[in-house]
Amino acid sequence: MPIKLSDKLKNANWQLIIAAPVAAGILHICATYAAPYLTGASAYSRLAPALPLNKMHILRPVTPGKEPLPFLSPDARYAMCRFDTSQGPVKVSATLPPDAGWTLTVHSPHGDNLYAAASTPGRVTPVLIMLVPSSDRFLGVTPEARGVSRGTQPPLAVSATRGIVVVRGPNGAFAYRPRVLAGLKEAHCSGRTF
Amino acid sequence: MGPLAVLSHSSLSLAHLFLHKLQKQLVALINLLGDWAAFIGAVLILGLASSWYMIDSGTLLTTEREAPWVTWTSAGRIDADPYTRAHFARLGTLQLTTEIARSYIAYTDSDGEKLHSSCDYFIEGREPRTSWWSLTVFDKTGQLIANPVERYAFTSQSIAIRPNGTFTVTLAREARPGNWLPTGGAGRLALVFTTLDARAPVLTPQDGGGSALPEIRRIKCR
Repeated sequence: MPIKLSDKLKNANWQLIIAAPVAAGILHICATYAAPYLTGASAYSRLAPALPLNKMHILRPVTPGKEPLPFLSPDARYAMCRFDTSQGPVKVSATLPPDAGWTLTVHSPHGDNLYAAASTPGRVTPVLIMLVPSSDRFLGVTPEARGVSRGTQPPLAVSATRGIVVVRGPNGAFAYRPRVLAGLKEAHCSGRTF
Repeated sequence: MGPLAVLSHSSLSLAHLFLHKLQKQLVALINLLGDWAAFIGAVLILGLASSWYMIDSGTLLTTEREAPWVTWTSAGRIDADPYTRAHFARLGTLQLTTEIARSYIAYTDSDGEKLHSSCDYFIEGREPRTSWWSLTVFDKTGQLIANPVERYAFTSQSIAIRPNGTFTVTLAREARPGNWLPTGGAGRLALVFTTLDARAPVLTPQDGGGSALPEIRRIKCR
């Protein structure tokens, strides 16, 4: 004898039926938040072993079989600095040439852009930033407090413990390549002790 | 026959009753296990599959689409949503923040067919009003495709543009006249169109009508 739909509904375990979407929602949230930590090779973990600490390093041109990261375009040359501010602030300076396509970005180990600057055609863009571990750490006495005139604009403080600074110069025609390389060599990254 | 038969009949009834009870309990247990199996299955499918889909493909909440191009609206941003964060962590890329750049990725042509190195394609577009842009071809895993002319991308500085501001790039295995991007024998392909200066409109109509995102047309397949 076929079971009636009303009997099926009457005998259904309504507690589980109601609990299922709630549990699925909790699992969805947990899985989404856990996903970045479960990935085998994040961009930071791939790049960090090859980069010296608190020093700007110009990467070789991106070519097939030698890509440091997937989907990293060969349309640019890159200089990178792996920084760690646990021993003191890290000073980053660069001069973005007056050409289109230059950028300087500070990435956290999770890939977030903590700071980003892009070049402006027709105007040189100087970038001077100080990477500091957190806003409540003592960063030393200012030049003014030591009775020394600063003379230059104070660097912009960016709070970050670890990460990577990336300077990107557009890889134009062959004749422009020495200029791009010279622009990347202008970028510096240096640690300071407290 | 009398007392022995009664005893035997009574013991048989007891066994029958016991078996009947056991059967009922087993059926109840099977029903309960079935309910829990269905519950766990539904939770796993709904929870994990929906999470995977939203991380892998994105939705209207996290992406902007103009077929076949997809861009993640909060890529690289410090206030990025968890789906965008997980998407790029899974890809293993370092994204420029969408405050200064946009990356559009296409795995299919404009008709929705998967891009493949066994086919030739015309990529036709209008130069966007951004200060700098590039078009790069990768294999489906994001690796460059080795080729004898060592050409993997065109940029606003290296592409040949027509006087009316439009351009055509040919994606093909063998050499083609004009802007040619070699695809070798890479199999499935991915095209990435990157624009700097995120404030400039790309998805909105340009002077000549239509958006600045190029159209990808299949010419022929082998």
